[in-house]
Amino acid sequence: MQVEIKARRINRKRRTDEGIALLISIFVLLLISVVAIALVVSSGTESALAGNYRSSTGVYYAALSGLEEARGRLLAKNPDSFTTTAPGFLPSPGTTLAIGSVAYVLNPGPTEVAANLLTTYPDTEYDNEFGGGSLAGATVTTTNSVWNRSPLNGLNIPGPLYKWARINAVSEKSLNIDVDADGNPDSLTPLYYDGAHFSNNPSVGPQVLEITSLAALPNGSQKLVQYLAAPVPITLPPFLGALTLSGSPANGVAFHAPASNSFYAVKGNDQDCNGTLTGLNYLAVGVFTNADMNAVINGIPPAVRASYTGFNSAPDVANIAPAFPASLEAPSQLDALAQTIAQYADVTIPSGPITYPLPTVTGSALTPLGMSSTNLLTVVVNGNLDISNWSNDGYGLLLVIGKFTYDPDTTWNGIILVIGQGQVDGSHAQFKQINGAMLVAKTRDSLGNLLPGSNLGGASVQFSDSMQGYGVRHSDCWIQKSQPSSNFKILSFHEISQ
Amino acid sequence: MSPASRNSPQLGFTLIELITALGIFLLVCAAAFTLLASSQQRYQTESQVLNSFQEARLALDQIVRDVNDAGYPPPTYAGTDPTKFASTPFAWSPNYTVPTTCTIDGSCITPGDFDIIIETNPTPQDPASQVQWIRYQLQGTTLMRGAALKQPGNDPAIDTAAFLAPLVQNVVNNSSATQIAQFQAAYPGMFPTGNPVPIFSYTCDTGNVPLACPAAGTNNSPANIRDVVVTLIVAAPLPDATTGQPRIVQLVGRGRRINPN
Repeated sequence: MQVEIKARRINRKRRTDEGIALLISIFVLLLISVVAIALVVSSGTESALAGNYRSSTGVYYAALSGLEEARGRLLAKNPDSFTTTAPGFLPSPGTTLAIGSVAYVLNPGPTEVAANLLTTYPDTEYDNEFGGGSLAGATVTTTNSVWNRSPLNGLNIPGPLYKWARINAVSEKSLNIDVDADGNPDSLTPLYYDGAHFSNNPSVGPQVLEITSLAALPNGSQKLVQYLAAPVPITLPPFLGALTLSGSPANGVAFHAPASNSFYAVKGNDQDCNGTLTGLNYLAVGVFTNADMNAVINGIPPAVRASYTGFNSAPDVANIAPAFPASLEAPSQLDALAQTIAQYADVTIPSGPITYPLPTVTGSALTPLGMSSTNLLTVVVNGNLDISNWSNDGYGLLLVIGKFTYDPDTTWNGIILVIGQGQVDGSHAQFKQINGAMLVAKTRDSLGNLLPGSNLGGASVQFSDSMQGYGVRHSDCWIQKSQPSSNFKILSFHEISQ
Repeated sequence: MSPASRNSPQLGFTLIELITALGIFLLVCAAAFTLLASSQQRYQTESQVLNSFQEARLALDQIVRDVNDAGYPPPTYAGTDPTKFASTPFAWSPNYTVPTTCTIDGSCITPGDFDIIIETNPTPQDPASQVQWIRYQLQGTTLMRGAALKQPGNDPAIDTAAFLAPLVQNVVNNSSATQIAQFQAAYPGMFPTGNPVPIFSYTCDTGNVPLACPAAGTNNSPANIRDVVVTLIVAAPLPDATTGQPRIVQLVGRGRRINPN
């Protein structure tokens, strides 16, 4: 019995000690846990804050990448341009993108399907700008981003996280502006850019395009940003006459017009792209000295001088030196312009560096280009061009640095620049003409050396007496359409609140 | 009497046992509460730092976004009403009404190291909206933000002054030399030159390589600002409770104006 009581006492004491130790342990553990949790929460919040800023910045640049891809691919000289990689995605260069035509560049991620992209990430902004239901009634075209095209799609590199980039025309109403101050924001007329301002008038300059890009990160961050962009034209000399011939007191013009072809004419009376007179009158032939003025007039057979009409009485040949930009009156300056055009050309024939003596290219080299009234190109020929018997038509800007042999079996709609050797000849039959303007300037000698000083070389235009054709007609419309672009300029940028 | 009742007084604790137990308990409690108190202080300090951090992050985000959008819509948006388009991405003072501009870190009161006025329309979707002057200005240790409708002919600095409201408290970029020395002691990497750190640093277009505006010569003009680097150094309202050192965080962001001027 004694033993049992002792054991009970010992047991009771042990139980009491264990209880206190447990309580204290739990209490201390609790305190430590509270402190630990507080620290974890605090560092977690800090990470989240830093993470929010990081994703906000990341999604902003992802959206910008969409804008930049679309802007870059609008430029024809880009190897991935929409013109070459996605025919039909946008109208041909020079053709207006209508209000109600919407083009999407789709950039699905590795686990996404392009066809579902606009459902997963719907474009609500279009209807905000153009009115409810506009997108449902729009003509929609799509193409893949460069990240979803060969060769980049074959690389194991994640592309930028923008989802789509939309390209569309803008109107006064969609931008909430009244460009012509008539108090009536027009919803159907696309806007154009005259180099300084927006306009409803298509003849002032290129169309303004709107590019909108949506980016979304896996964590749900989204950003919508928008550009307005328009092509930046390369500054060409003013085409004051249908035909402009370079020369200086030291270097006179050599000019001979067809004598036995009463249809041949050089007219500064401006025509639109359909051949209808616009009422604007430019010179027939512009030269740089009074001596050249006489030389050209003497080169026109008296019987056909009445066909050289324009601003002044026929034969309308005038000295344009006072009105021509002084910055383009030296051989080096005009030659630099030719090099700038070559830099942004759609096609350069032959490819590779320029070699002297210059190679001769025939019209057959132009055939594969597929030029048409909806596909105007800037073509640079680093050599002589002979289009005898080519019997096709040309559209756009043609720059020939060697001799240009013209055949009136070709209609050229656009601008012809013969800058370099400054030499044109022709002797063939058939009745077609040049619509736009032509400038012939000698800036280099036959070995390719730049003419020294500020005296332009004398241009040489030698058409045989028997050459047929209708000659040259000034056309601002075709000049405008052929205007080459060096870039798509950002006219405005803003982030759209969502 | 049963053996149990006879032995029951021996089951209690002696006074010494109780005092010892109580002493141990008090010691443990004291240690626990000391730990709790210091944790609470730590938590309070960290919360304050976090609040300042969060406030500064939001402000930085907003400033960068406003700078990115500066100059929208540009003057190319034809029309005769200058309240509908931004004449220049960044407004300046004085002499905003004349075509000549001031020089940054020179004759400009704003834009400056602690003051910027952005000209933009933040809500272009609203047909009735107008271009605004959005100003960020450091007053003491408070970064203020205010927006006024653009009024051609007015001085944007005067117009926005009436609308400034606190955005971030305890901004210490422009502290006194004594305070900077204190901060440097706690954070050797901050205030590297020992001078106040500009909130706004500007890069100007030069036609060639963009340069810091004060070094851009004739291109040093608010009209040529391309990038704005925003550096916010924010202190917690109270020093660290345990060390007594100031608690500060530095946030850096960069806004790039894309709109043409």
